[in-house]
Amino acid sequence: MSKTLFTAALVAAGTLVAGTLGATAHVSLEVQEAPVGSTYKATFRVPHGCEGKPTNVVRVQIPDGVIAVKPQPKAGWTLEKLRGDYGKTYDYYGTPTSEGVKEVVWSGGNLGDDEYDEFVLRGFLTTDLKPGDTLHFAVVQECPEGLAERWIEVPAAGQSADDLELPAPGVKLLEKTGGH
Amino acid sequence: MRMANSMRRIAMMLRVLVLAVLAGAGLSGEAAAHAALTGTDPVDGAVLAAPPPRLALTFSEPVSPIALRLIGPDGAATALDRYSLRDRTLEIAAPDGLADGTHVLSWRVISEDGHPVGGALVFSIGAPSAAAPIVADAGDPAARAGLWAARVALYVGLFVGVGGVFGRLWLGGDAGPGRAALLGVLGLGAAGTVLSAGLQGLDTLGAGLAALASPAVWSAGLGTSFGRTVVLALAALALAAVALIRGAGRLALGLGATAALLAAGSLGASGHASAASPGWLMRSMVVVHAAGILVWIGALPPLAATLRAGPATARPALARFSAVIPVVVAAIVGAGTVLAVVQVEAPAALTATDYGRVFLVKLALLAPLFALAGWNRWRLTRPALAGRTAETRRLRRIVVAEILLAAAILGVAATWRFTPPPRALAIADAAPAAIHIHTARAMVDLSLTPGRAGRVDVAAGLMTGDFGPLDAKEVTFVFALPAAGIEPIRRRAAKGADALWRAADVTLPLGGAWTVRVDILISDFEIVRVTGEIPLRN
Repeated sequence: MSKTLFTAALVAAGTLVAGTLGATAHVSLEVQEAPVGSTYKATFRVPHGCEGKPTNVVRVQIPDGVIAVKPQPKAGWTLEKLRGDYGKTYDYYGTPTSEGVKEVVWSGGNLGDDEYDEFVLRGFLTTDLKPGDTLHFAVVQECPEGLAERWIEVPAAGQSADDLELPAPGVKLLEKTGGH
Repeated sequence: MRMANSMRRIAMMLRVLVLAVLAGAGLSGEAAAHAALTGTDPVDGAVLAAPPPRLALTFSEPVSPIALRLIGPDGAATALDRYSLRDRTLEIAAPDGLADGTHVLSWRVISEDGHPVGGALVFSIGAPSAAAPIVADAGDPAARAGLWAARVALYVGLFVGVGGVFGRLWLGGDAGPGRAALLGVLGLGAAGTVLSAGLQGLDTLGAGLAALASPAVWSAGLGTSFGRTVVLALAALALAAVALIRGAGRLALGLGATAALLAAGSLGASGHASAASPGWLMRSMVVVHAAGILVWIGALPPLAATLRAGPATARPALARFSAVIPVVVAAIVGAGTVLAVVQVEAPAALTATDYGRVFLVKLALLAPLFALAGWNRWRLTRPALAGRTAETRRLRRIVVAEILLAAAILGVAATWRFTPPPRALAIADAAPAAIHIHTARAMVDLSLTPGRAGRVDVAAGLMTGDFGPLDAKEVTFVFALPAAGIEPIRRRAAKGADALWRAADVTLPLGGAWTVRVDILISDFEIVRVTGEIPLRN
């Protein structure tokens, strides 16, 4: 009897604590595998806002090795492309490319906590990326009152995304496919 | 057996429920019903270039102070009574001439809801003290009892032993018996003195009696100002023994007088009266007070011994004693008054602090001692000098009573060693728990103030793994006590003007080895988490 109560109390305690930490559904990518040396359409699925608040801004950081990024505009959102130096020159179908979009920002929208939306960009996965690795896109959801959800953690060696509180969405890299 | 088990489970269950509620309250971030400290000036942990003219505490609602104490680098506590209230801010005038080193402002206030709230603010002037003013928390009771007993033995050795040798020589050569007894008292004093050093070390390190064999304990004890007292006291005891063995004569008297001076000096070399400012005045007052007591109390046993031999034998000794003692007692009272005024400061502190209460007990014992001494002097001394046996006998009995009273007073005065209790408590309250976490990417120095279960203020200094500056965008502290089933309690930190990241009033409800994780958001897209374990007292 008292054991049951004890368990119930533990569960109650757990719920109470967990409840305040926010739900744990993450921003994820729709297509979770892609070959290097090809263009990848990244669809970010945003399942909720921050602690009950709507999402106003979605920011995606473009990882190294991903070039020629073009985001898809969204009705009701202002699209911003922050450009920068890649730090090296990539070969993009024969064109030397050393500069481009490093961060994509959709802002000014209002995605309710109880609503769902997708944010899309496409980019070229250079052959600098290693097949077998997982490529992570760090995503930040910003909400009113300075609240934010940051999906920015990358698993360390021996860790899996499940071990992380705030895993960045990832795509598993595959071997380059022959020809176009 | 089964009964006991289920009782234990129920107790555990209640505890978990309480914790859940506490954790919930802590996480909700809502203002609690009681006043909460929302800001301090200087900020907790700050290192200031110059002494601050004022200290300010800002609360979530209006408060009025109950007790404000400043504990200095030497561990001495000063009551702060000059303050003003401005809206929700309590401004406290800082005492003049604050020494360099770490100070702890221990505060206790009462808010509108009548609930007292307390805390401590640690700041340093110049640089933090090598060792923060940490006296052992309650400490090991056996070690403390031992320390008290050793202190009493030290006092008895100096006042009764060295004082007795001096009195014996001064009152009339080696008249009367008691040489063996005096040697015994000197030996007791020496043992007490030596033992005090080790016990002082235990107290300094907060260790238990079992650690007494450790050399570190002894060097810690001798490393404090008490080390000087030990050396001087041992020298005094040794000289007194030589003088006693020597017997009589000018050389013996000279040795005895030197021993007496050394003994008084040894007491002036340490202790909190000596640590109070102005230093030179307080130290010399301690020496005068101690020398006076030594001459007076020390002379009583030899006097009693000579009185036993009858009025004729006792006459020269009694004449000398009564000629000098009024001056000595005046010196004792004068110096004692100065010490008391400086130490106690406000009359209210007499009842409000343990120090004051010990002082009152001492006064209560002094009253009959002075009454007896007065009776002796004004009623019995003259007839005794005139050779009347009855009065002489009565005089001797009263002198014995005086000796007993004096012993009681020494016992009471030895508890002053612990009257930092208000301060020891405040310091135990204030002593932070700290941890250094060093990883390849980040280095964190994190402290919990006070370092015990309950509401703590968290402060963290950040550096990169290679000691460079680490400019974080956001810092979050996550505390968990897995052993007690406490889920993570997370608090967002705010960056202070001193570049430390702080979270005030985090409730960590139980003592134990807490896991602390520091989430450092370096940029919008980069987070570093470091984890360590920090012990929290109960």
